[in-house]
Amino acid sequence: MSVPILKQGEILIASIQSALSDRELVELRDELADRVGRLRSRGVVIDVTALDVLDSFATRTIRGIAYTAKLRGAKTVVVGIQPEVAFAMVQLGLSLDGIATALDLEEGMLLLQRWPK
Amino acid sequence: MAQLGDQTQAQLLMRDMGLTSQNIERRRQIVGLEPQDLARIAAVKDLVLGHVEELTAVFFDYLASLDESRPLLNDRVLRERARQFKREHLAAMVQSDYGPSYVEQRVELAILYGKAGLELRVFLAAFHHLLKAIGALVLKQFEQSPLGGFDHFISLKKVAFFDIGIIVDVIVFDRERVIRQQQDAIRELSTPVLQIRERLLLLPIIGVIDTHRARLITESLLKAIRANRAKVVVMDITGVATIDSKVANHLIQTVTAAKLMGAAVIVTGLSADVAQSLVALGIDLEKLNTVGDLQGGMEEAEGMLGYSVVSAGTAPAAIQT
Repeated sequence: MSVPILKQGEILIASIQSALSDRELVELRDELADRVGRLRSRGVVIDVTALDVLDSFATRTIRGIAYTAKLRGAKTVVVGIQPEVAFAMVQLGLSLDGIATALDLEEGMLLLQRWPK
Repeated sequence: MAQLGDQTQAQLLMRDMGLTSQNIERRRQIVGLEPQDLARIAAVKDLVLGHVEELTAVFFDYLASLDESRPLLNDRVLRERARQFKREHLAAMVQSDYGPSYVEQRVELAILYGKAGLELRVFLAAFHHLLKAIGALVLKQFEQSPLGGFDHFISLKKVAFFDIGIIVDVIVFDRERVIRQQQDAIRELSTPVLQIRERLLLLPIIGVIDTHRARLITESLLKAIRANRAKVVVMDITGVATIDSKVANHLIQTVTAAKLMGAAVIVTGLSADVAQSLVALGIDLEKLNTVGDLQGGMEEAEGMLGYSVVSAGTAPAAIQT
């Protein structure tokens, strides 16, 4: 199942609905990198509310998305990390250093809208 | 009514303790209750049934001679019920059916003893006295063959030890339950997460932080962040006496996890000693946003959320207490 990418003004929203295989994650990364440039987006929101696990590959890919998007001129916010997931990530030493995080989609959108142009 | 309540209480307790049919079967195996024992018990059944009143009296007379059993004997209701239970116990003991309903009766009796505050050693002594009286009766009947009498008595004694096993387990389980409840209460109390403004949480930490507690603190903080939609958390560690590299690591983990959920954490209350020892240990607290005291932390947090506290300038001359 590929991840739907929605365009809301200058912001792209990728809402992950189920656990993704490594291959699907890479597809998501490539798709987002392409669209950020094509649609001249200013921000990317990755919604992981539905995920109950984020492994090292997923974390690395999300980091990859954020850095790629930054090079293409967009800021990335990861939203909806569950308490259990956050705790497990910290225990495993996985971090999202340098990437903005927010409680949920609403907060993430607010954060991007307030970001100076 | 009370009778009904206790009955369900006994059944609940049996479930909590895992006293299932298999467990009861295993208990019978442990005391070595075999078919020939049941046959021997059947042989002395009428003897015991004929002396139920007398034997019950032996048990309670012995208890009456001990100061420690006052709580049970001075309460007329409890005493009468205990007597009734004991009569039923003696009758059931020789019925050769030691299944769940027999065990339930024992559990009920144990609950009663627990309620009356009867010490285990007092109960054991009185029970031993009762067994001695039963033994005397049995041996009297088997005057011609003392060895046979002894065998019959030992068979009864197996049942007695089966009973003791259950009663001891119930009383111990009951005590441990109190300890478990208290531990839960302490745990709850030790990690309060308080909302002091819209989207601002306060997490005061007092005492020693070990790995287990650090985990609880992190868990309750993360849940509170989601429940209160918090954006900023002030973590006050004034009450943490010493911080070593392990504790510092726990704090950093908590802060990192909170950040993953979109909340910023301000750490306050690092005393001069703590700050110096952290520097001496070479612990990198670069990731932590630290402010000297709780007041400073609150002000910083309010600033981040866009609050500003302004004095109304109308403070009364004397603040009434």
